[in-house]
Amino acid sequence: QGSIELSTMSVKHVSVHARWIIGKVIGTKMLKTAKVRVTRLVLDPYLLKYYNKRKTYFAHDALQQCTVGDIVLLKALPEARSKHVKHELSEIVHKVGRVVDPLTGKRVAGTDFVEPLTDLEEDKTLSEKLQELNISAASSGADSTPPQPPTS
Amino acid sequence: MPMKGRFPIRRTLEYLQKGDIIFKNKVKIMTVNYNTHGELSEGARKFVFFNIPQIQYKNPWVQIMMFKNMTPSPFLKFYLDHGEQVLVDVEGKDYKQISQHIKKILAKSEEVLQAEAQAKMQASNPANFGPKKYFHRECICEVEGQVPCPGITPLPKEMTGKYRAKMAASQE
Repeated sequence: QGSIELSTMSVKHVSVHARWIIGKVIGTKMLKTAKVRVTRLVLDPYLLKYYNKRKTYFAHDALQQCTVGDIVLLKALPEARSKHVKHELSEIVHKVGRVVDPLTGKRVAGTDFVEPLTDLEEDKTLSEKLQELNISAASSGADSTPPQPPTS
Repeated sequence: MPMKGRFPIRRTLEYLQKGDIIFKNKVKIMTVNYNTHGELSEGARKFVFFNIPQIQYKNPWVQIMMFKNMTPSPFLKFYLDHGEQVLVDVEGKDYKQISQHIKKILAKSEEVLQAEAQAKMQASNPANFGPKKYFHRECICEVEGQVPCPGITPLPKEMTGKYRAKMAASQE
């Protein structure tokens, strides 16, 4: 009796259901299209445990910059580009073989860094470093107010 | 086959329903990067083990993905609507701290949840009758103490419509 009407005017122009999805690229053999496998956690009704359920999506990749194995963020297109392609590549989150640690910005291979972390210079003392900072603040222009010394 | 495995309580409906992290509508994807070995990832591992099922149960439309041993430091990343991303560093943190932190930054607050519950209650009045799909009762004959359904037991003659009509017509 109560059939709920979906008014297309109130919904934003996106007619695709999944707005943002993240997945792994499994195929790039199509021109400017990447085949992406998206896994979602689905609850098994008897065991009450979550398992990964896969679904493949096709994404438009204009610059063909994806390789197989990349972790990729897809954005829904406002209208489906073709019968199967309803998403486009938004950004490559983890490029296969060139993963970058988001916290340090350095390249990473598995659980180790590719280059050892050497941003700390051990031979300079702290006072020398502070002197350097003072020099640069004074030379940088009179209109900027001098920085407040940190309250310890 | 009752309770098998480590911490089988994670697999009970009561435990899943006890989850208190309900994300705001703009959170679409949650990604957890953690390592399988190492002290610093211990909190992240426990978080995945204990809290992820609760979060997914309460947020069925959020896509949750886990990545193991991709970076040396464990972190969580949230992808919100309109392209916004939130990075949460969980290195060395305890799993309870992680869930508290997420609750503080990205979950609906208590007032919002209560307001939503109130709105839902007001929208559906349990005193209404109607089709089984939308209401509790279809007819007043289902309630104890009321006149039973005339389809099952015939009404006494004085209550039938045709008797009353006959009486009304004979009086005029």
